[in-house]
Parts: sequence; C-alpha cells; structure tokens
Amino acid sequence: MTRFVARRLVIAVVQVAAITIVVFLLIRALPADPVATRVGFNASPDVYRKAKADLGLDRSTLSQLGTYLGGSGTQRGLLAGNLGTSWASGSTVASEIGDALPITLELISLSFLLAGAIAIPLGMRTARRPGKALDKAVFGYGLFAGAAPEFWWGLMLVFVFYFKLGWAPAPLGRLSPQLQAPTQRTGAILIDSLLAGRLDAFWDGLRHLILPVITLAFILSGPIMKMVRQSMTRVLGSDFVLYAQAAGLPPRQVSRSTLRAAFGPVLTLTSILYGFMLGGAVLVESVFSLGGLGQYSVKSVLEFNYPSIQGVVLVITVLSLVIYLVLDVLLALLDPRARHR
Amino acid sequence: MTDVSTPNSAVEKEVVLEARGVCVSYGVGTKAVSDFNLRIHRGEIVGLLGESGCGKTSAALALMGLARHPGRVSGSVLYDNRNLLALSDAELREIRGRSIGLITQKPRQSLNPLLTIGTQISRVFRAHNRASKEEAQTHAIELLEAVGINDASRRLTAYPHELSGGMAQRALISMAMSSRPQLLIADEPTSGLDVTIQAQFLDRMWERAQATGSAVLLVTQDLGIIANYCDRIVVMADGRVIEEQTVREFFLSPKQEYSKRILAVQSADTANNPAARRLDESDALVEVKALSKHFVLPDKRRLQAVQSVDLSIPAGHAVGLVGESGSGKTTVGRLLVRLLEPDAGTVLFAGRDITALDSKAFRPQRARMQIVFQDPFDSLNPRWTVDRIVREPLDLHGPGRGGPASDTTDEEKRRRIAELLDLVGLSPDTRNRKAAALSAGEQQRVCLARALATQPEFLVLDEPTSALPPAARVEMVKLLADLRRRLGISYLFISHDLWTVGQVCDEVAVMYLSQIVEQGTRAQVFEHPAHPYTQALLDSVLLPDPTDRRVDRERKDLAGEIPSPVDLPAGCYLAGRCPLVEDRCRAERQELVTIGDGRSVRCWKVAPATRSAS
Amino acid sequence: MTATAPTVGHPKRPRRLIAAARRDPLLTIGLCIVALSIFLALFGTLIAPKSPTEPTGAPSEHPSLSHWMGTDASGLDVFSQVISAPRTDVVLAVSAALVSSVLGTLIGLTAGYFRTWWAEVVMRISDVLQAFPVFILGMMLVALSGRNTGNLIVALSLLYTPIFIRLTRAEVLTQRNRSYVESARAMGNSEWKIAFRHVLPNSLAPSLIQLSVTVGFGILLTAGLSYVGAGVRPPTPEWGLMISSSANQLILGEWWPSVFPGLAISLTVFGFAAVGNAIERRVGG
Repeated sequence: MTRFVARRLVIAVVQVAAITIVVFLLIRALPADPVATRVGFNASPDVYRKAKADLGLDRSTLSQLGTYLGGSGTQRGLLAGNLGTSWASGSTVASEIGDALPITLELISLSFLLAGAIAIPLGMRTARRPGKALDKAVFGYGLFAGAAPEFWWGLMLVFVFYFKLGWAPAPLGRLSPQLQAPTQRTGAILIDSLLAGRLDAFWDGLRHLILPVITLAFILSGPIMKMVRQSMTRVLGSDFVLYAQAAGLPPRQVSRSTLRAAFGPVLTLTSILYGFMLGGAVLVESVFSLGGLGQYSVKSVLEFNYPSIQGVVLVITVLSLVIYLVLDVLLALLDPRARHR
Repeated sequence: MTDVSTPNSAVEKEVVLEARGVCVSYGVGTKAVSDFNLRIHRGEIVGLLGESGCGKTSAALALMGLARHPGRVSGSVLYDNRNLLALSDAELREIRGRSIGLITQKPRQSLNPLLTIGTQISRVFRAHNRASKEEAQTHAIELLEAVGINDASRRLTAYPHELSGGMAQRALISMAMSSRPQLLIADEPTSGLDVTIQAQFLDRMWERAQATGSAVLLVTQDLGIIANYCDRIVVMADGRVIEEQTVREFFLSPKQEYSKRILAVQSADTANNPAARRLDESDALVEVKALSKHFVLPDKRRLQAVQSVDLSIPAGHAVGLVGESGSGKTTVGRLLVRLLEPDAGTVLFAGRDITALDSKAFRPQRARMQIVFQDPFDSLNPRWTVDRIVREPLDLHGPGRGGPASDTTDEEKRRRIAELLDLVGLSPDTRNRKAAALSAGEQQRVCLARALATQPEFLVLDEPTSALPPAARVEMVKLLADLRRRLGISYLFISHDLWTVGQVCDEVAVMYLSQIVEQGTRAQVFEHPAHPYTQALLDSVLLPDPTDRRVDRERKDLAGEIPSPVDLPAGCYLAGRCPLVEDRCRAERQELVTIGDGRSVRCWKVAPATRSAS
Repeated sequence: MTATAPTVGHPKRPRRLIAAARRDPLLTIGLCIVALSIFLALFGTLIAPKSPTEPTGAPSEHPSLSHWMGTDASGLDVFSQVISAPRTDVVLAVSAALVSSVLGTLIGLTAGYFRTWWAEVVMRISDVLQAFPVFILGMMLVALSGRNTGNLIVALSLLYTPIFIRLTRAEVLTQRNRSYVESARAMGNSEWKIAFRHVLPNSLAPSLIQLSVTVGFGILLTAGLSYVGAGVRPPTPEWGLMISSSANQLILGEWWPSVFPGLAISLTVFGFAAVGNAIERRVGG
C-alpha cells in the first residue's frame, strides 16, 4: 500500500511539473499582449519597453521560466513555494487564491452533498425497479439536466425566487451588504460565522448559498444518478448477489454487499466531477457574484495576468491530483482487486 | 400421490421437490422457461440436459424461487409440502442454502469479490446454524478440507480473484454443502474447468452427495457427464421439458427426435481414417525442431509456454495435439503459422525455414498455411458479410496454387466463393449474411471456407469444435475428416477433447506444461497410454456410456491442480500430481525418449533414458 | 437474433432510419431538433425577419407580433438573434466535434494498435491533459489567442480530442485481441491494412456515441465562455452572449431576452444528447 501511494505520488509530481511548464510556455506562445493591456495601445515605445521589462517579458522565455521556478535575487521562485505576484493588483497570487479557493470549496462541497442526497437514493430505487414511471422520469431528467446551461438555470432561479417571489437575496455576493463579514479564518463563510458565533451571518450566508447550490446540484445529480443506477443494475444482476440470495444470507448482509460493490464507480465519478468543478463552477460563481476560484481565473485570463493564471492552474491541478490519489487509496481499501495494480 | 410420468425405478422413493408449471420471464414478452414440471426424489441424481439458451439455468434457479434480476418466477415448486413460490422472503431464506444448495457455472463470479473465502463460508454457515464466528471459521476449515483443499486454514484468508477456477468451485461446493442440504442444484459446475479437474470435481461432488444423502440436480450440456453421474435425465429445449427418462433407458432408446439426434451424433464414430503409418522424416510437410517460446507477464515474471517441442506432420496427415489449459498447445499452433515468433527452434514448411524469412517475404507463403480458431464468432469481422469475408484471401493471394491475385477476375472469385461455401456445406444464401445472423456451427464453416480459399496444404485447427454445441460439434468433426480425405490437406488438430482428436487424427502428441510428454499413433496413445499423464487424461474422459461409469471403476487420479507455467517444478513437471511419483521424479528433468513400438514418452519409469529421441 | 439482423445494401438505409425513428420517439425528437439546428445554422441568418445585429425596435420591448420574442436592452430583435445564433453555436460545436473525433479516432487507433513509442507518448500527454482544468484551459486558449470563431474551434477541438483518443484506444485494445484480427494476420494482411480495414470500423461505436454528446458539450462551452466574456465578441449573434448581456435586465424582471436563448441552448443540446443516447442503445445492446 505504501509503495502504491509512493508510486502515485511520483507520477503526480511529474504531472504537475509537466502541466506547469506546458502552461508557462503556452501562455507565452499565444499572441496576447499583456503589456499593451497594461499601458494602453497608444503608449509611447519607451513606456511600452519599460513596462515590458517590469513584467520580465523582455527576456527569453526560458530565462523567464527559470526565474519563475527558481526565483532571482531575494525573490523566491515556485520551487521555494512562491506563486508570484499578481500583475493586476500587486498582491501575492497565493493570498488571492487563498481568498478565492475556500469560497469555491464551500460551494461545490455543499452542492455535492445535496446532489448525492438526491441522486443516490433515486438511482438505487430506479435500479431496483427498472422500466417503472420513476425510472423513466429520472432518465428524462438525466438527459434534460445535462442539456441545460447552468448559468441560465441560475438566472432562472434568480428570476423566480428573487424577482418574482422575493424569497432569495439578490445574487450579488455571499452576504447582504449591510451585514459585516465574520472574521476570516477558514474563508468558508458558514464555518467562519459559526466560529465567530455570528448566527446572523451564518443564516444570511446560507440564504445566499441556497440558489447557487441548488443550481449546481441540479446539474450534478444527473450524471451521479445515472452512474448509481448503472452500477447498481450491474451488481444486482451479478452472479455473486444471485448466489448470496441462493445461499439464504440475511437481506441486510446482501444489500450491504451490494452497496459496497456498487460504490466504487460512483465514488470514481464523483471524484472526477469534483476535480472538474474546481474550475468548472465558474459560471455559477459568476451568476451569483460569489468570487470563487473560477471567477478569479476568468478575471486573470481576461486581464492577461500570467502569474495568476499560472497559479490557478497549478492549484487546481494539484488539488485534482490529490483527490484522485485519495480516490485510488479509497478504491484499494474498498476492493482487494484494486490493491495489486 | 399417483405417479404416471416418473420412471418406475423411482416410484417407491420419496419426492424431495416437485415443480409444477413453473414459468420464468425477464421483462415483458418472451418466457425463458414455460410450464416446467419436474420431480426429484431423495438421494437421486437428476441430469438436466439442454443446449445453451434453452432455459435450463433459469429453470434450475426457479426451483429455489430465484431469478436473475429483473426476472420473475411463477407456477409452483413444492418442497416439504409447501409451495416455495408462495413463501415470504424470510421463509424462503430458511430453505435456500440450508435445504437447497446451489453451485453455479461461474464459481469465481459467484463469490463476493470484496470478501475473503473464510468470511463467505462462515457467513453462509451462520445464516443457517447457531455458531460463533470462531466456530464458523473452524467449521469452514473442515468444509474446505472435505472437498480436498489441503492448506485450508491458509485459503480462508484468500480473496476470490486469488483462486483458480477449480479452487473457487470447491469453495463454492463447500458452502453449498455446509448445512447438508436435501437437494443440491449444480448448474454446469465444470464448464470452465479442464478435463482432469472436471473429473476430480464431479467425483468429489458425487461422493459428498452420497455421504450426505442429498439429491442432486445436475444441469449440463454434456452427455458424458449425464452418463457417468446421473440416475435420471430431463431434456429441455426452448424453455420446455421434452423428455424424461432413466439414464440407461435414455441411452438405449431415446424417445424424442431431438434426443435421438444428439445421441446419434455423440456416439457416431467417424474414425474411418486410413491406417496410420510412420513416415520417414523426408516426406514431412511441416517439421518443427526444438521450438521454444516464453512470454513476459505484466508483473515481469516469465511464463514458459513452449519448451523444445519437436513435431513432424507428414503431407496429408492429421496430427492431434492434446493438452489442458496452460499446456502450451495453442502457442505451438500459432508458432507454426508464424502468428508468434519463436525464441528458439525452426519451423520447416515444405523444406523451407519460415522463421528465417522477413515478415514481408513471408506474407505470400501464408496462402499455403492457414489457421482456424476456437471461437468462430470472434474470428469473423462482425461488420462484414460472408461473401466479403471469404473473398478477402482471394483478393490477397488469388485462388492459391495458381497465378497471382491480379489475374483473377471478379467472376472467377464469385465462382470460387460459391464453390467454397458448397465445400463446407453452407447454403448459397448465407453469402449475404453477417456473422451474427449465423449459428455457431455455420460461423465455424465460414471460417473454414475462408481458410481453404487459397487451397492451403496445411491447416492448424485450434480447438475448432470447442465452442460449438454438441450436435454442431459432431458435424464439424465429420466435415473435417471428410475434407482431409477429399483435399489431401494436412492438419495440426489442437484440442483438449480426446474424443474429437480420435475422430480426426492418425497421430497424437500429448502436451503437459509446455512439453510434449507422449507422442505416437492414435492407437498407441489412446489404447495403450504409457505416460501417467496420458493415462489420467484418458481416464478423465467421460464417455456417453452409462454402462461404463467412472464412479464404478478403479480410477487413476491426478492429485491437485495444474502448476502455473510461471514457476515450473524442478524435476518432472507431473511429479506433484503423479500417482507413481518417486524421489527421482522430483529431482530429475525428464527427456522425451523413443520406446520399442516407435512412440516417444517423457517418463523414466516407462522409457528408461537410453538416448534422447530426435 | 437472426430476425433482427440488419440486411445490407444502401438503398434500404433511409427507410431503415425512418422505421427506427418511428419505433423510438426519443430518437425522432432528437433527429428533428438536430435537423432544425443544422438548418438554422445554414439559413438562420437568411430567414431572420429582422437584422440580428442592429436595433430594430425600442429597447426592452415585450414579446409582440412584430417582435415575437421581444427586444433586448439595445433594441435588438431577440427572435432574429435566436435563430441566427446557430451559425455560431452549432457550426462551432459541430466543427470542433468533427475535428476532434477524426483526430482522436486516428490517434487512438494508432496508439492502441501499434505498441510503439508513439503509444507511450500519446498516453503520457493524455494523462497530463486529464489533470488539466478544462474550462480554464479553454478560456485561456481563446482569450489569449484572440476571441474569434476560428480560435474557438481550435481550442474546443484540442479540449475534446483526448476524449476520443481514450475511447478509441480502449476499444481498439479489446478489438485487437479478437480472433478476427489474428485471422486477418494469418491471411497475409499487412498490419496497416488490419488496423484500418478491420480494427478501425469495429472500434468506431464509442466515438460515434460520443460525437453527438460532444456537440452538446461544445454548445454549452461556447455559450459558457461567452457568458464570462471569454467567447466570441459582440455583436455576433450567440446564445451565451445574449444571456450574458441581458442578465442584469432579468433581475429587473425582463425575462424574455435571456429565457429564449437559454431555451434554445437546452433544446439543441437535448436534441444532440437524445440522438447520442439512441445510438448508444442501438450499438450498445
């Protein structure tokens, strides 16, 4: 098991390194002009040249890469843990991502909890009774949910629940403007407000999260439900479940074995979706102006803010790989056959 | 209870279970089983015979009130004066596993992949008996030992994927018998096993049933199994019972047309081959010398598949290559037509070493040698019609033994295709069909037509009949014997099925764990086997003859399992299983030695090593 | 099995398609939507009653007889924009899906069939791409190379090619071990011939199913990129852009400029997904 994890870690490190370098080179190979965005297209050649030198873009790409990875002078590089400084704000990329990441994690974690709570029981029920009305409804929903652009659904929910019914707050952030934010500790508003003992902030934060979470869960439950159904159907039709019944094992034992055997693929899909959502929640974040990692990456890309783009990609990649690693370990614990790969 | 339908020999016996009008359906429409009636008496072994897809498995499961998800069972199954199909789930559970045990076709898939064998056996035991976990574990060890597993306490911690098929099947039978059921349902329990392991297993099952007094319902496609182990037979076709008889009467005088047909084909003897003669090496068409091949497994271990094999196939002759799984026989076949490259050794074809040619220069030579594989459906491009499939070799090589491909007109090709289809006994209208629309037997005929298209002199037949249902199998054997006579073609006939080999071949080589252990004429090998492995192999053959049952005679069993070709034993490869084993066998590698009557044997006890055979 | 086995011959194909559609309502709906969206992609701009790029009415008019879907905040006719947008959305998604499926299938075939250094390289790159945040990569490619249709097609194709590589390679790996491949070799075919004549046609099913689904993804991603301002530039009629520019009005109760393009996206993606699903049910079982 230790060897298994060590091997995966080595591969992950290589992957991170490859992606970092590829992104670094790719950004600079594409025909964008970050200097002009900063100084304006009508700037004098001198101003332009100075700005270019300030950003370090006057040097060769390889030398830039060297500085980015290894640092220069007193400035530490990526290898020493420094993600660099944002070209837009001047603050460190690490601190900006540190602010944005918990927002996204809070949003998508809650969304996955909700999606799982809906999708797993429904998927299991439809697997046990294929072809029934519920099964057909769920199938239709799967096609439909996958077809809808999530930002549009978000807007529709806002229209109904904010404009028409007035039940939800305006989609303009994580807290009502009149409310003072709780002291930031984890960055997740629900946890911070509880830690600070601010129940008012907790409820307000929750109210602001309800619509975005519903929007994401609506999109996520489709594929999860499909996978639960598929996986359960496979296990229910398998020889060993049939044999367990033939051997007269107690139903509790049979259904526990069934669930355990069906769990693997669902876990795999959920992990992949979670990794995808780190950057993929951007549209919902934008609709509700939550300011998470996705929105930060949009902003960085549109501003041609190279260090920030680089930082976001790195953080998301590392997080995804950590999730996949945890997934592999969980799968190996779950299934003895996975331990020997 | 009046008794009309059951044969008189069982009249006085008590009925254990009775099925009346049982139907099984999966979804709407088609019924897998309809109006199934069956009586099983105490201590009796009933064979349920039928081809695959006839509903026999569904019927057998229905006797426990079971159907594979999402199937439904209706009708009534009387057991102990109760209708099982009307019982509550809880009441059914009492009976399943305790009063009625089950062994399935796929033992490894039937075990929970996530739990150890020990856990599974004790769970089944504890579901029906009062026992602590420790008691159940101890009992599990006893159960495994009872089915002949030696290191039972160590095996308890193994997961199903770590067991061989034979081992898993034994774990399954120990679970099924743990509560001494009155009825054991065994659904093709040996379909994936090798012949020697199959015989071992069925013997164990028979003994356990005799010891516990259980009745057995043995579902099978194999008349040999029926003849050797069953008292009574029930024949199914298309979801219905079509015949019910005692086994002896059935083999003497089958009533139904279908039964007559399968019996006729199984007992048919097509062995009217020209008398075998030893030939000089000079007129050998294929001459193999010191052929070796190994594979490297994903975990870097080395698997020795073939080890210094010598083989000579005279023009117009058929040589049988016999062995169980892992013996390397299939690898030999592929080496001979150069689908694999040997590590060492030569393959002379018509005097020319084909292993020395580069692959492009060799390609035209392929017209002269062809191969037919085990799984006919898998061998045919599923998107192509029969016409296109048979045309392909003609496009590549022309009609063989003739001019180059470009000279052949489309008209000639069309004629040739029609000729080939006729040759293998296919009707002309199969021409525009695809493989999926043909039966297995027809598919294999298409493969044969394709292989014969370029008029090859030599054909490797790699288990060409194993994937066919019994009737088609016999017809294929007849066809092959016939084609050889008419076309004067040479065969290397690879099979684990000794009966088939006997029908087609005049010489036989027996392989065990990468080596040939005995080689001689058909009469020598089959009538007077010399090597202990050949003897055991022949002894394991279950002949469809209820008057000469295996369970009634002295047996020459091989112990244990076939060793893995990854770590071969030091001395004789059979030493671990051989009934005649001595210390010398374990220490000394065996050589293939020619003995008095001209055959070669790899055993010092039979053939004292004077000098090596060529 | 025998009864349902398809007969060969081209003349029967369209009739078979119609027969299949009649038995499968989902496929029928899907095919109709796909056909309509392709029709609009070709002729949408021509049949639009008003100009989709210039104001043709007062700002923010309710749906009426002259403006069936109303006008947006700049007075553009929503209906004309909705039916002109497939020229961007559908063309882009379909081209990207075609490019990536052809590329991915060929790369996947060669990487799966020939076990050489090439297979290693492809799989390593594929692994790296798998850990990549897709949406951000797409956004980056488009925004940094210029927000136009051509760059979007390139970016989308690049994003989707690995899916097809993976699917095709997996299928090729199972197909190459089947006996018909060995038979073809024993027959004297060259390896390239086996790969392209035998293995390729038998490995297309997963890609074919994925193709239709990928068009849906492409439409969603195109619209999504526009929504965050990293897609095509206004005033190109594009569904995501329409929703994005009307999002602020929606909060004020003007629902029509964003509801209709959203419905158009959902319907189109649903149509392609339904066709993909029907293919899957046919090919898969």
